Amino acid sequence: MTDHPKDPFDELMRRALHDEADRIEPADALPEIRARAHAQGRPALRPWLLTAGVTAIGTAAAIGAFTVFTGSDNSANDGDAVAGSGTTTTASGAPASGGTQSPVQSQVPTRATQPPTAIPKATTAGPTDRPAPEQFVRTAVVPVYWLGPQIGAKSKTSARLYRTWSKVSGRPAEEAVRIMTTKRPDDPDYFSVWQGAAVNTVTRSGGVVTVDFKQLPKTTLDAQLASVAAQQLIYTVQGALKDATEPIQITEGGRAGQRLFGQIDTSTPLGRAQSADVQALVWINSPAEGEVTDGKVTVAGVANAFEATVNYQLTNLKTKETKKSFTNAREGQKFSPYAFQVVLTPGPWQIEVYLISPADGTITDTDSKSILVR
Amino acid sequence: MAQPAVVYEEDVTHESSWDADEALTAVYTAHYTSLVRLGVLLLRDTGAAEEIVQDAFVAMHGRWHRLRDPHKALAYLRTTVVNRCRSRQRHLVVVDKHTPTSLPDEPSAEQAVLQSEETDRVIEAMRTLPEKQRTVMVLRYYGDLSEAEIADAMGISRGSVKSHAARATKSLRQLLEQNV
Repeated sequence: MTDHPKDPFDELMRRALHDEADRIEPADALPEIRARAHAQGRPALRPWLLTAGVTAIGTAAAIGAFTVFTGSDNSANDGDAVAGSGTTTTASGAPASGGTQSPVQSQVPTRATQPPTAIPKATTAGPTDRPAPEQFVRTAVVPVYWLGPQIGAKSKTSARLYRTWSKVSGRPAEEAVRIMTTKRPDDPDYFSVWQGAAVNTVTRSGGVVTVDFKQLPKTTLDAQLASVAAQQLIYTVQGALKDATEPIQITEGGRAGQRLFGQIDTSTPLGRAQSADVQALVWINSPAEGEVTDGKVTVAGVANAFEATVNYQLTNLKTKETKKSFTNAREGQKFSPYAFQVVLTPGPWQIEVYLISPADGTITDTDSKSILVR
Repeated sequence: MAQPAVVYEEDVTHESSWDADEALTAVYTAHYTSLVRLGVLLLRDTGAAEEIVQDAFVAMHGRWHRLRDPHKALAYLRTTVVNRCRSRQRHLVVVDKHTPTSLPDEPSAEQAVLQSEETDRVIEAMRTLPEKQRTVMVLRYYGDLSEAEIADAMGISRGSVKSHAARATKSLRQLLEQNV
């Protein structure tokens, strides 16, 4: 099959196809595959396999449902717009599906240090038009956000958002909130202050998403943590709905106005904060926590790093062998993908990626995963 | 896909005793990304490619007791992915005709800048090829598969692979002449 090995045409084809392919960094799907492999019955047919007639609709749905999730090596695109870096207020709302979605303005930029800004005007929780519940879906992959400690932060209670993925069936946003409020994140570094809350419904109406709880969390938090925790809900719901613009009205038993975490006024809908203010500045998207892999490991994630520098240290917890180096995210000062590949000896490894303060050389942000290399 | 094959050689003593879960994890780790990428090259739809590859892995897990060998598992995955991408693509042709300018995953402006013009030219040229020719070219140049492997994956004869490749090469050379 090979022609002359140095045939420029062959070289061009190889280079171009690899170049094109390398743009794709799929998110980790092993947990979903494993879950489905163990589920009873055969895998469900995709809508587009059913009939050609449904194809057009099925395709549109699939695009809406999936291209935004991963795929492109665009950064944290769960379909929620990735808000721009701190230097700009424009959210780069262009996920994988480039032309199909117009850029989304982050309508309500708020500082993480303040309670989320309430949207004026939309003062009633119960909109007059009929609220629309979410569509049932057989399967969807939804982002679920967790809190993770912010290393080197001045305040001990400072936290930032980290994202994990879950496969759900039913109503995506409702299920995502259910996971966020009832499950524990796989990564032991992450936590949720929403434990104990019980979600009732997620409905949309008149440009507002209403998340109704049977029970809101009873914990009282300090103002800063409370506002990040509120964003945890907002990011999760908006991510599942793939809409970063509609504000979130929180209600309990259909009534608005509870003070969330003893801090946040929920009498009006809450908007999304700038990602640079609440999202952890460095994430590992893969491997997943606890993953068992062979020795060749690609660590991939998203970072918003000064001069794009992402540092990493990998430690074999058994032999204490360490590997320490750095890589570059595609761009600096904004959320942008990075990836590096390492060959690891067998054993349990701790992967840590971190950002270093340009001001004083201290570690500012980090994410870590434990994996087992067989 | 040539790359990860090395992994097995290092690991050759263990793989025969893998259960389905271990095999799934190992083969997933080595090949998931490259299979999704293969699917995207064939389909230009990342979400659909991921779904197809995930389905293929679920199916592979189910028949591991018959495959019992990561190389066979990979061949099985590849065949499944290629088949499903092709059948998906045939359906898409209809849709494509009506939406020629806004394909689902047309790269964003940002990506377009980052991607070399050369790559764009090749990918654009590839899109003009009939489906079989394009599939052959993707498997040959991205998958680094031999003629026999391509024939297996596509369920066609080696002679057909050869003729599809020759025709595709001819068209592409013409389209890309100035660049090569």
